Amino acid sequence: MIPAALAIARVKFVLELRRREVIFAMLLFIAATIVIVHFALSGDTGAGSRAAAGMLWAAVVFTAVLGLLRTFAAEQEEGALDALLLAPIDRAAIWIGAALAQFGFLVVVEVVAVPVWWVLFFQAGGPSIGTVVVALLLANVGIALVGTLAAALALGARTRDVLLPVLVLPLVIPIVLAGVTATYGAFGEEVGGFRPLGFLALYDLVFAALAWGTSEHLLGD
Amino acid sequence: MEPPVVTLTECSKRFGDRLALRKATLTVAPGETIVLLGPNGAGKSTLLRLVAGLLRPTAGSARIAGVDATSAPRSLRAGIAYAGHRSQLYRGLTARENLELHAGLHGQRDLDVTALLNHVGLGDRADEYIDGFSRGMLQRLALARATAHQPALLLLDEPASGLDADGRLLLDATLRAGLGTRTQLVASHDDELPARLGARAVHLSAGSLA
Repeated sequence: MIPAALAIARVKFVLELRRREVIFAMLLFIAATIVIVHFALSGDTGAGSRAAAGMLWAAVVFTAVLGLLRTFAAEQEEGALDALLLAPIDRAAIWIGAALAQFGFLVVVEVVAVPVWWVLFFQAGGPSIGTVVVALLLANVGIALVGTLAAALALGARTRDVLLPVLVLPLVIPIVLAGVTATYGAFGEEVGGFRPLGFLALYDLVFAALAWGTSEHLLGD
Repeated sequence: MEPPVVTLTECSKRFGDRLALRKATLTVAPGETIVLLGPNGAGKSTLLRLVAGLLRPTAGSARIAGVDATSAPRSLRAGIAYAGHRSQLYRGLTARENLELHAGLHGQRDLDVTALLNHVGLGDRADEYIDGFSRGMLQRLALARATAHQPALLLLDEPASGLDADGRLLLDATLRAGLGTRTQLVASHDDELPARLGARAVHLSAGSLA
């Protein structure tokens, strides 16, 4: 199953390199969000670590939804999803391949966005970058797993562009809560030590198992 | 007598208020070729997608080798090929990349993609993105994709649409090559195709088998 998932993820990366449809839009969106919030706070870096942490996580989640809307777009153009469904592969490989691609897209976007966030909000005394990076990576896994599953659910719906955010956003609230809490912790606040990171890892495991079990049924008629 | 490869039993499919297929009952023997004939909207595509397991019947059943088509195991799916109205290819990939992906997913690492592309007349366009391909070229490539893994059950939905004269000859030759050895269901508007192939014709009208 892993080779099939990697082949599908590879196709998605190749298509993105050639077409630049997803990552470019995500980058513009997250950069614009961070800059607009910075100016909305009148450049007041004293707005507090909590405001900065909260805006980063909100921006990441909404940017992720933007990318998730295109999860199976390439497969729908010429009906390639039918060929994947009929291929002698575990159908979970289709979902894992798509989730791997979404994870990769998010990482690329964050590699650009987090330094921008850092420069605009913390001239001095920023959070521990290691904790923020680990939290973001764990969150990316969860968002990619849950988001791809929701994208598969919304696939047959005429109103999938509306349905997908409605499905995804409530499911990622726990990720935002844990991510924001972990980021507070990265500022040295006492907010439960490594528990938020542990929660994110647990969330990833639970939804990986859930999605694994249901992907066979979701990716079909 | 060998058990049928395809068995539709009182199979119906409804899309919203529209009944696309009405209590269709059909058996297809191993190696048999059937040409589905009927006007647009008769239910030919729906029937083929039900057999492929890409649609779930609203009522009745669609079985392949005795197994519910929508839950066909990987070993069974390995022997099925379906080419529908769309090419089922990735537009942002080249013809060669599309076939290599297909071969990889079907575990055919040693498939001679160049020879296959030459066979369908696309050898000189192998490394072009299929974005710029005409309808006929996409049909040729879809035919190459569908037959690359030498399926035991070949399902083709109006495969001649968009094909030029040479393309139609290629299609006829492909179908002839499968006569008696491969089970083939072909939806077509070509009333003469059953006679040309010596195949059984099945007529559909307004979702019902005649």
